[in-house]
Amino acid sequence: MSEKTLVEAINECFHVELERDDSVMVMGEDVGRAGGVFRATAGLRDRFGPDRCVDTPLAEAGILGSAIGLCMAGWRPVCEMQYDAFSYPCLDQLITHVGRYRWRTGGAMEFPLTIRMPYGGGVRAPELHDDSPETYYVHTPGVKVAIPSTPADAKGLLAAAIREPDPVVILEPKLHYRTMRGEVPDGEHVTPLGKARVAREGSDVTLVAYGSMVPLSEQAADELAGEASVEVLDLRSLKPLDEDALLASAAKTGRVVIVQEAPRVAGFGAEIAAILAEKAILDLRSPVLRVTGYDVPYPYWQIEDAYMPSVERVTDAVRKLLRF
Amino acid sequence: MAELTYLQAISDGLRGEMRRDKRVFVIGEDVGVYGGAFKVTLGFQEEFGPWRVLDAPLAETAIVAGCTGAAIMGMRPVAEMQFADFISCGWDHLVTVAAKQFYRAGTPVPIVVRLPSGGGFSGGPFHSQNPESSFAHIPGIKIACPATPEDAKGLLISAIEDPNPVLYFEHKHLYRRIKAEVPEERYATPFGKARVHREGDDITLVTWGAMVYTSEEAAAQLDDDGVSVEILDLRTIVPWDREAVLESAKKTSKVMVLHEDTRTGGFGAEIAATIAEEAFEHLDAPVKRLAAPDTPVPFSPPLEKAFIPQVDDVVAGLRELAEY
Repeated sequence: MSEKTLVEAINECFHVELERDDSVMVMGEDVGRAGGVFRATAGLRDRFGPDRCVDTPLAEAGILGSAIGLCMAGWRPVCEMQYDAFSYPCLDQLITHVGRYRWRTGGAMEFPLTIRMPYGGGVRAPELHDDSPETYYVHTPGVKVAIPSTPADAKGLLAAAIREPDPVVILEPKLHYRTMRGEVPDGEHVTPLGKARVAREGSDVTLVAYGSMVPLSEQAADELAGEASVEVLDLRSLKPLDEDALLASAAKTGRVVIVQEAPRVAGFGAEIAAILAEKAILDLRSPVLRVTGYDVPYPYWQIEDAYMPSVERVTDAVRKLLRF
Repeated sequence: MAELTYLQAISDGLRGEMRRDKRVFVIGEDVGVYGGAFKVTLGFQEEFGPWRVLDAPLAETAIVAGCTGAAIMGMRPVAEMQFADFISCGWDHLVTVAAKQFYRAGTPVPIVVRLPSGGGFSGGPFHSQNPESSFAHIPGIKIACPATPEDAKGLLISAIEDPNPVLYFEHKHLYRRIKAEVPEERYATPFGKARVHREGDDITLVTWGAMVYTSEEAAAQLDDDGVSVEILDLRTIVPWDREAVLESAKKTSKVMVLHEDTRTGGFGAEIAATIAEEAFEHLDAPVKRLAAPDTPVPFSPPLEKAFIPQVDDVVAGLRELAEY
């Protein structure tokens, strides 16, 4: 174990996985010589050569399209989309091709492809550098989606994605790349997809969150200390979803608040609430609440704090449920 | 009143708007000389000339982008994607530019994109989807999904009048199968107002598009059990008529949401989540979602039948709710 920032944990994962398996390679804008805009791929080009750490043109559809072909040729490419909203030019490749080839080839071909992207706001960035696009990927059949909230999971989930036979999208909370430090297992470390993590145990209310909303939910739980015992469930992977952990926590507390940074309507929080409304209705003691971003394009940085779910909005929702 | 097919009603509405307003023009693949893949714009080029009925290259990004520019310059473009599935190629432009333009610069983007959607004819994975849910999560876009010839005309007119980008999903399976009286005069069907397709007291079935007819057949079978089913046709999913759904849910206390799009992250989740939040204490049963499974749309006829919700599936779900 050693203490690392979230982005250092990702970088270490790459060094371990590229060393372990010759077919793993990295491609993206500035990932090679520059080591990535966030330094996630630092040192890979020097260590593994320019054929396994490829600087690409600014052409996201081209990156993903090439990666599909590389999979067919036996590689395990890891594509970096420099920012969340830069992934939209490659959405056609993702929806129309990546998610479907296993079916189209009758299961004969595997597409062990990983797409990483820094996501989310709170970093005073300009537009198109702040989106939380997870819901689009979750709604795309054939694609798995994971979002780490700790350095250890950032390493472990990326390793799991690289080893998966199917395409996986990993969204990394860029706000916490360097602001969060934590103990990370050395060497090979894999966090299986589809297993949620109880970030904090509690018995009165469950906060369901993922990515950057996990530390925020933990702060809200601190704030409510003495008032309510709050459980924080970190989903880690949105697809496959750990439905058992979700339903178990809902059964225990009977009250659920879902915290999501993305806009509200048809976001992933709706899927969680819908599952609870269908499968946990007899366990629930109160309505399922969602604390989310608003239904607007991500705002300019001067007003982004008003957009982002805050500790106060989460504690308000919890208190509302306790009074119900 | 004249009896028109669903397809004729779309054509009629579009022709009327082009005659009335010189700013309205049509662009798409094969919409001109050929009259459209489904013949919605048959005869349009003869009547309005090649400059108002433009045959575009097979380049969906260029079609959406061209429309955005034309709309900013004061025109009212109506684009056709030959199949709704092809809109994934125009995703980036639609999301990054068209949907955000008003927020960024205050300039309205009054474009309509017509999207022939839906399966049921062995069109395979690229010609059968109902991708409306993915777009519902994008702030800045409105979405219409007419089920009847009367609404097909009225919602298209509202879409053309609307200052925002509107995605207009027309269900291919209804084109020539559904025929009904359509007023000859011009009328606009407002967005965000659901239609009670059938009144009932015991279960509310919320749906849209072609699933309205599947619901109708299922509800007729439930009559024999002495269970009365209310069918709400949402007509538009952004904005959607929350009040009508919540009111009906409060009346019947049992709700099923049905859609042809895939389940996880589908728009049904938003409806179920809203009910779980705002009508919780009125519910006598879990909120049931019935949707396509999370796979691409299969080509094989028996598999496609297993994929698209069928009358029997709806009947089984409704009976489960009735007995709960």
